[in-house]
Amino acid sequence: MISCDEAALICNKSQYEEASLLEKFKLKLHILFCSTCSSFSKRNKQLSQMFGKTELHVLSDSSKKQLKQEIRERL
Amino acid sequence: MKPVQLIPEKWVDRYADYLYNYAISRVNHEDTAKDLIQETFIAGLHSAENFKGQASERTWLVAILKRKIIDHYRKINSKKGKAEVKRNYSAASDSEGDWLEEQVADPYSIRENDIIENEELGMALQACIDGLPEKQKKVFVMKTISGISTEDICKELKINPSNLWVIIHRARTALMGCLNKNWFES
Repeated sequence: MISCDEAALICNKSQYEEASLLEKFKLKLHILFCSTCSSFSKRNKQLSQMFGKTELHVLSDSSKKQLKQEIRERL
Repeated sequence: MKPVQLIPEKWVDRYADYLYNYAISRVNHEDTAKDLIQETFIAGLHSAENFKGQASERTWLVAILKRKIIDHYRKINSKKGKAEVKRNYSAASDSEGDWLEEQVADPYSIRENDIIENEELGMALQACIDGLPEKQKKVFVMKTISGISTEDICKELKINPSNLWVIIHRARTALMGCLNKNWFES
């Protein structure tokens, strides 16, 4: 049996498709017996789904640098 | 309540991504959105003395951005002459007449509401991300939104994978809490 910390790590990894089959199996087994991790896993998955359907964008570092420069020049 | 003070030095780190997402969902063009953000910050600096400190800094900047977006649409419409409403009068439809009322979007359409809700959810997510400590925000955004690989993030930020996963765990837990408060319960 894996610990809750390990279970959380695997759960986080699998949100990014980075958990191995064996890890996923260990997680599934752990969740059967652990309600805390079961609920964490559910909410974690839900969070991933929210990110999936919103498609957030992020300004590039170079654009941010440029914006900061613009502001600094005017202060 | 103490009135809010403007801190323009922090605007980019605190609000640029929020404003960018707000703009991009309305103009559907990355460069235009970038320009609008820049105009917003500059206008914000010019009218900083009008800021009364009653709204939050972000709300105030969003209000400026909204005006910039309206100006943007006015500008592109006046270039074409004037705002046009293009409609197809379809003879094949079995409608009684070509009344505008028959052709407006159904306000109760499920798909339409989904789009609006997803957009609101996106802004709620962004606000929660902006509330994360700086390092968590950086790592989480690189991993989740930019989709950069674990290996590359570790290389760039000089951390090891187990550090990365600890940071991701903290960020995700914080985001779940924040969304619970600001999305599910409101």
